Amino acid sequence: MNFRHASCAFLAATAMLAGAGGASAQQVTLKVWMHEHPPRIAIDKAIVAEFEKANPNIKIQYDVIGASEYATKLLTAFASGSGPDIFNQASTLVAQYHASKIPAAIDYAALGYADEKELLAVYSSGWDGIRFAGKLHGVPTEVSNYACYANKTLWKEAGLDPAKDFPKTWEEFVGVAEKLTQRDANGVPRRRGFDFNWPSPPAYWNAVVTLTQQLGASVVDEEKYKASYDTPAGQKAMQYLVDWVNKHKLGGPQYTDTRTDFLGGKLATDCSFGIWGIPQMVAAKIDYSVHPSPRFANKVSDNGYPAYAYYMMVNSRSPAAVQKAGWAYVRYYTDQAERLFAGAGLFVPRKEVIAKTGDANSQVFLKELQTAKFAPRMVGYGQVMDVLVRGRDRMMQGGEPVAKVMPELNKEIDAVLTRERARAEAMFK
Amino acid sequence: MRALTRLDRKWWGLVFVMPVVLFFATFSVFPVLFGVAISLTDYNLLDPPEWVGLQNYENLLNDRLFLTALKNTLVFVLGATAPVWVLSLLAALLFDQAFRGRQVLKTLFFLPVLPPVVVVGVVWRMLLHPNGIMTFFAGGLRGITEIPWLADTVLAPIVMIVVHDWAVVPFFMLIWLAGLAGIPQELREAAHIDGATAWQTFWRVELPQLRATAVLVAALSSINAFQTFTLQYVITSDPGGPANSTLVLGLLVLKYGFQYFRMGDAAAVSVVMFAMILAVTAIQLGFNRRVG
Repeated sequence: MNFRHASCAFLAATAMLAGAGGASAQQVTLKVWMHEHPPRIAIDKAIVAEFEKANPNIKIQYDVIGASEYATKLLTAFASGSGPDIFNQASTLVAQYHASKIPAAIDYAALGYADEKELLAVYSSGWDGIRFAGKLHGVPTEVSNYACYANKTLWKEAGLDPAKDFPKTWEEFVGVAEKLTQRDANGVPRRRGFDFNWPSPPAYWNAVVTLTQQLGASVVDEEKYKASYDTPAGQKAMQYLVDWVNKHKLGGPQYTDTRTDFLGGKLATDCSFGIWGIPQMVAAKIDYSVHPSPRFANKVSDNGYPAYAYYMMVNSRSPAAVQKAGWAYVRYYTDQAERLFAGAGLFVPRKEVIAKTGDANSQVFLKELQTAKFAPRMVGYGQVMDVLVRGRDRMMQGGEPVAKVMPELNKEIDAVLTRERARAEAMFK
Repeated sequence: MRALTRLDRKWWGLVFVMPVVLFFATFSVFPVLFGVAISLTDYNLLDPPEWVGLQNYENLLNDRLFLTALKNTLVFVLGATAPVWVLSLLAALLFDQAFRGRQVLKTLFFLPVLPPVVVVGVVWRMLLHPNGIMTFFAGGLRGITEIPWLADTVLAPIVMIVVHDWAVVPFFMLIWLAGLAGIPQELREAAHIDGATAWQTFWRVELPQLRATAVLVAALSSINAFQTFTLQYVITSDPGGPANSTLVLGLLVLKYGFQYFRMGDAAAVSVVMFAMILAVTAIQLGFNRRVG
């Protein structure tokens, strides 16, 4: 081939590529990131394939990231400007993204709803975690809450029947847990009857929030953006948890994660699974029943564990055309709620999903969800949780009195909130 | 013409070293300088960094977490250096002797160095379960069935030091062995002929000859101890816990950076760590020169 021929071939190839580029100008590629929930992945992939088939001009680049590293990877991706166009995140963590103006407010036209009213009519709850300054910034893919699972076999071994004997109050729970606990000659629990999930910071946070809310208080006042932890109600809730470990010796942070032990048949009762735990119980062949969380005998609020949700959000930094395509995908994905519940246990309060929850165990979660409140949202959630865990260790393992530690924790939480206050103000304005 | 050739040779030299210089500048010098620059900002990853000057360093002086981590790091460095020097030297002196089964024993002794620190941490975490095998050995005879190795604010930091020392002593033993192998045999023989005892031979002949090795062991073990992170991260269920009793500076950098999203503070702690390690290493090298 001489130079002339080669030049002609090069020009022809360039023209073809340019033509191809022109044809694909309408093509939109959506980068979608989801946290890992193994039963959901196959369904996600099927949804992606169906969506691409129905929308040939939209290509989905779908990535699943391990749950433990998801938050960090998401943040570093946004920091480097390579963040996804669509991502999901838990209600406890969305405040910091909103403070940095990352999730776009819902574009109702692109989402395929006339307005907010029409969207809210489809879901009976689940929006409190994603409403900032009056506007919704994402659509729930999971709305959940914890309730208590009892291993009927282990309860029966202790001469108890969860249907009759499951405690209504935290005060009664101490005695029931003691009956369910197997101890060695030194009194050390060999098999726990019930224990709070101390090693998991989010589960511990949920327990503290639940007990505090039941007594009419809150760890943080979200509106005033101030700590409200050190109150008589807060101290009483904390004293109950400390007594559980140090006085009644029914468990403690030194033991294995309760979910692991419950699924392994080494724990009779666990209150750190959501409705999504049902497929896991079936897989582990556990004969179980679900019960509402106990309340304090002198409760002020009749709530169980707090509600939390995962929301699918669109990156406001993505180009407008990508955001529009993104909302179309969010609509398509969230309309598959029935499949996601059936295959992955992810519940959203939509009519068609609620219709599938006729069994008594699922009904417990639904009933509890009606009174569940979302935990307070903060920009410095990770720091506040760390303060709580540190305080837990000081009181339970260091033996420091609740009355001494709580004011210090309150001060520490306030310091965190004060530091982040300027950014957090965007949450309400 | 001659001058031009010389110049050419100089340029060629630069060309040849340039890839390494560029590599070093990109992957070593730039990150350090970038870290220093970030330490002078308030940066949460999601919003652009804001210049705050030396504010982050000033805040560290009153930061309870930083002061706790600094104290814990210094305690850890103390426990992870001096005992390591002594134990590894004793092991080296033992394995420097000729006895039956020496090679097999030396190999077995060296085994803890082979797996990655993460694996060492995971294995020890299992061994240190409150009702686990270590409790059986430590408390079995006295009828104790539960020891909160990792949940006790006093025990947990001690456990970190013991596991660390167990894992690194064999490595430093090898360095001492190399040093011992470099001592001319004639010196030992001369001491023996002069009637020196084994202790005198060690103290007056071998140890002075090991000065360069000692500086290397001291420098490496100090740097390694100051940078400790993986063991505390893997072994404790809540990294740095219980109640921050195992929170070291390396963990604090992670906490500030990726749990609190305060990159400026994380970078400031890193710079302080860097300065501390530099100072300790400089002191050790300076001491070696002065004694020499």
